[in-house]
Amino acid sequence: MALSPDVVARLERIVGTGALVLTAEGRMVYECDMHTFYKGAPDAVALPVRAEQVQEIVSVCRAARVPIVPRGSGTGLIGGAMAPQGGVMVSMNRMVSILEVDLPNRCATVQPGLINLWLTNAVQDRGWFFAPDPSSQMVSSIGGNVSTNAGGPHCLKYGITTNHVLGLEMVTGRGDLVQLGGKTVDGPGYDLTGVAVGSEGTFGLVTAITVRLTHLPEAVKTVLAAFRTVVEASETVSAIIASGMVPAALEMLDEAIISAINAGTGAGYPEGAGAVLLIELDGPRAEVEAQAERAAAMCREREALSVSVARDEAERALLWKGRKEAAGAVGRLTAAYLLQDAVVPRSKLPQIMREMIAIGERYRLRIANVFHAGDGNLHPMICYDDRRPDELARAKEANEELLRACIALGGSVTGEHGNGLDKGKNLPLQYGEADLNFMYRLRRVFDPDHLMNPGKLLPSHPACGEGFRPLRPVLPAGAWV
Amino acid sequence: MGLTVTARVLGSAFAALVGPAGVGETEAARAAAAIDGRPPRWVVRPRTMDEAAAVVALAHDEKLAVVPRGAGTASGLGTPPERVDVVLDLGGLDAILEHNPEDMTATVQAGVTAGALAARLARYRQTLPLDPPGWAARTLGGIAVTAASGPLRARYGTMRDLLLGVRFVQADGVVTWGGARVVKSVTGYDIPKLLVGSLGTLAVIAELTLRLHPLPESEATCLVSVDSLEGAQALAAAVVDSTLQPSRLELLDSGALAASGLPPSAAGLAVSFGSVEPAVRAQQAALTAEAARAGARVETLGPRFWTTYDRMLARTGSTVLRIATRASRLVETLGEARAALGGARELVATACAPLGVLRVAFDQGEPSRLAGAVERLRRFVAHEGGSVVVERGPATLRAVVDPWGPVPPAALTLMRGLKQEFDPGRTLNPGRFVGGI
Repeated sequence: MALSPDVVARLERIVGTGALVLTAEGRMVYECDMHTFYKGAPDAVALPVRAEQVQEIVSVCRAARVPIVPRGSGTGLIGGAMAPQGGVMVSMNRMVSILEVDLPNRCATVQPGLINLWLTNAVQDRGWFFAPDPSSQMVSSIGGNVSTNAGGPHCLKYGITTNHVLGLEMVTGRGDLVQLGGKTVDGPGYDLTGVAVGSEGTFGLVTAITVRLTHLPEAVKTVLAAFRTVVEASETVSAIIASGMVPAALEMLDEAIISAINAGTGAGYPEGAGAVLLIELDGPRAEVEAQAERAAAMCREREALSVSVARDEAERALLWKGRKEAAGAVGRLTAAYLLQDAVVPRSKLPQIMREMIAIGERYRLRIANVFHAGDGNLHPMICYDDRRPDELARAKEANEELLRACIALGGSVTGEHGNGLDKGKNLPLQYGEADLNFMYRLRRVFDPDHLMNPGKLLPSHPACGEGFRPLRPVLPAGAWV
Repeated sequence: MGLTVTARVLGSAFAALVGPAGVGETEAARAAAAIDGRPPRWVVRPRTMDEAAAVVALAHDEKLAVVPRGAGTASGLGTPPERVDVVLDLGGLDAILEHNPEDMTATVQAGVTAGALAARLARYRQTLPLDPPGWAARTLGGIAVTAASGPLRARYGTMRDLLLGVRFVQADGVVTWGGARVVKSVTGYDIPKLLVGSLGTLAVIAELTLRLHPLPESEATCLVSVDSLEGAQALAAAVVDSTLQPSRLELLDSGALAASGLPPSAAGLAVSFGSVEPAVRAQQAALTAEAARAGARVETLGPRFWTTYDRMLARTGSTVLRIATRASRLVETLGEARAALGGARELVATACAPLGVLRVAFDQGEPSRLAGAVERLRRFVAHEGGSVVVERGPATLRAVVDPWGPVPPAALTLMRGLKQEFDPGRTLNPGRFVGGI
C-alpha cells in the first residue's frame, strides 16, 4: 500500500525532505531487524528530532489510517522494528540526546534513540551506571530496550529494563502526547509506565524516558568454572541460587560454544569441558570476597574441571572475553541458526538441558547454548544449513518442541527478547483465551485504531479480535431460587 | 417490600455459591464491614477462587457494587465509595499454594497475610521483602492493590518489582492469568503491573506469584542522630552516593524519633545493612566514619527496632499523607507540610530517603482546614511531578478533599479508558480511585 501524495507531503512538511526516506533502496535498509527471516519495508521512514514532530506524524497517519512502526537501532531479535503491513516507520536515530542527568535523585532523562552504553559512559566517572545491559548495549537504543523490556547478563541481580524506568513521555495510538510517571515515584492512578514498558510500540511511540541510575559497586569478582557436562553445571547453578547468593550474573556456555570460541581467538577454556560457568559477584568488598570464595568452593565440590577467580580487572576481562565473543563464534559452527530465549524455573535447568540434548539428537541438529543460567533464561541456537531446505524445517520443529518443553516445566516463551512477529504466535502456549483477550483489550485502550505496530506482540487468534467472549463462570443450579 | 424480597433472593443466591456460613447478612456483620460508614448489603466470603469468580459474576449481572477486602487494614485509603452492595471478603483465600525454594518463587492466594508467608519462608531463610506499615497482618492481595510499601523498598523495590504473575477475576467473573511463574519473562503485556496499585477497580486479584529474596545472613541497624533535618538529608545523600548498600535508609524527624522511643534529636537516620557478617561490619564502620565527618552520633539499635518502628508507623496518626517528592527536596517539602498544617500540630514525619517518599502522620484536625493544607502541598510538589495522597484518613476528610489528587488529563483519559474497557458496568470499587474511577 503506497502512501498518498498528500500524506507524503504532510510528512515532508513535518520532518523536512532530508529526514523522510522514500526511495526503494533507502527503505530496504529498514525492512528487517536482526531477525532477518521477517521482512517488510515501510512505505516511508521519518526521522523526527522532537516529540512534537512525532505527535504530528501520528496525527497524519491516523487521519489516513496508515500503520506506524517505531524503530531504534534495529538490533531486536523478534521481527519487531519492521513493517509487514507497510506504513510509516518512525526512526529514533536522530533523537539521541541525554536531556538531563540528576544524580542527587539518581535518575536521567534521555531521548529514545540514545545508545544504551552512552548513558553509562556519561555517568560512570561519577560513580553511576544504567543497569540494564543487553548484549547489544553498544548499539541498541534505550527506546528499543524500553519497547522490548530488554534484559541482559546482569539482570539477575539488578532486574530488567522495567525495574529501571521511572517515567515515559509517549505519543499514544490515540494521538495524545502523555507524560507517564517521572522523577518522583508513587504517582496516583494505574501504573501506566509499567504497562507501557515492553509494549513493543503497540501502545504508541516513546519520545523521552526517565531512568533510574544505579551506583557502581565497591567491588566486582568473577569466577569461571569448567564442568564435564552441562547438566553438572546446571546443578551447580541451582545450588548457588539455593544457597542464598544473588550473583550479579551467572552465565553458562555449552560445549559447542566453548569449542567454537577456543577455535577462534581462544579464551583458553579447558579442552574437554562440556560447560563453562561464569559467575560474577558485585557489591560491598567483604560480601563479594566471601561469596566468590563460597561459589568457587561449590564448583569444586561438584567436581569442576577447573575453577579460576579473577584477581584483577585484566583477568576479569579475560574471563568475560569468551562470553562476549560467543555470538560471533557461532559463525564458526554454522551458517545459520534459530535463536530463542525461553525461560524455565531455574531448578529445572538440569532437566531442560537433558531434554535439549535429546531434542538435538532426535532432529539431528546441533544446538549451541550460551545463556543466563541464573534466572533460567535459555538462549539455544539451533544450527542448520540454510542450503538444505529440509534442515530449516527440522530446525523450526525442534524449536517449537523445545519451547513446549520449557512451558511444560512452568516456564515462559520469552525472557528478554520480546514477542514481535516471531513469538506472538507462541503466546497461546502460555496463555489461555481469556488471558489473550484481556491483553487484546488492553492494547485497544492505547491504540483504538490498531495502527501502532500492527501484527506484533499478540497472535492472530480469535481471542485477539473483536466480538470474542471468554467463558464466564457457570453459576450452579440453585444459585437462583 | 419488593427490595427486601430481592435482597433475600440474592442473599440465598450468594449462599448457594459460597455456603450459608459465607454470607453475612445480619445488621452486625454488615456494620462491621462498613466502608466509610456505608454498610454493605452482604458480606460474602468465598472459600475458593472459583467461588470468588462466581460471586463477582452474579454481582456483575445484578449490577451490584463489589468492594473487595483483604485484612481491611487499608480501608482508610481512597475516595468514599459510590455504592457498596457486596463486601467481598478474600480472607478465606488463605492458602500458600506453592513455594519453590530453589527457584525463589512462591504462589499464594490473595488472602494470605505477609506475616503467614514470612513464617513459612523463614524456614528456608528466604523472604518477600515488603514491609508496609503493619505488614504482618496485611494480605498480599491487599498490599498489591494498594501498592503499599515500607522501609525495605530502599533496596528491594515495591510489589511492582516482585509480582511475577497474577491470577484475577475480571469484573464479569472471567478468571484470567497474566505474567509468568518464572523470575524473568516478557511474554505478552506486563499485566501484573496493571493491577498493582489499581485498588481493585479493574479486577479482583485471586493469586499472586512472587519473587523471593534470600534472608541476609547477618543484619545490623544504626541510628544516626543529626542536629538538623538538612544535615540528615545531606548524610542520606552521601550514603546514596557511595558504595554502601543499605537495605533501609529512613529519615525520622524529632516527632518520629520520640514516637519510636529513640533518643531526642532534631533528626535521625535509621540505617540497616544486610549481608555476610564482615560486610555488615565494614559498612557500619564506613557509615560511622561518614557520620563523624558530619558531626553526627551513631549508635547501634537492637534487632527488634524495625518491629517497633513498624508498629509506630501502623498506629501513629489518624491521618497520614504520603508525599512523593525528590530525594533532594525532602526537607523543604517537610517544611512546607509543617507550615501548611499549622505549626502547632504535632507531626510524625518519616521518609524513605533515597526515593523521596515522605510520610507525615498526625491526629486529625478540622477536615476543611486539612483539605486546604493538602491542596497547598499539592501545589508545592506539582512542578516536580510530585504527589500527595491521603494514605489514611477519616471519611470526613476524604469526602472534602480528593485523597488521590490530580492526574494529568491525558494520563487520566487512558486510566478512564482502562476502567471503561475492563469494568464498564462499574462493578468493582466504584468511585474509590483517581478521577472518580
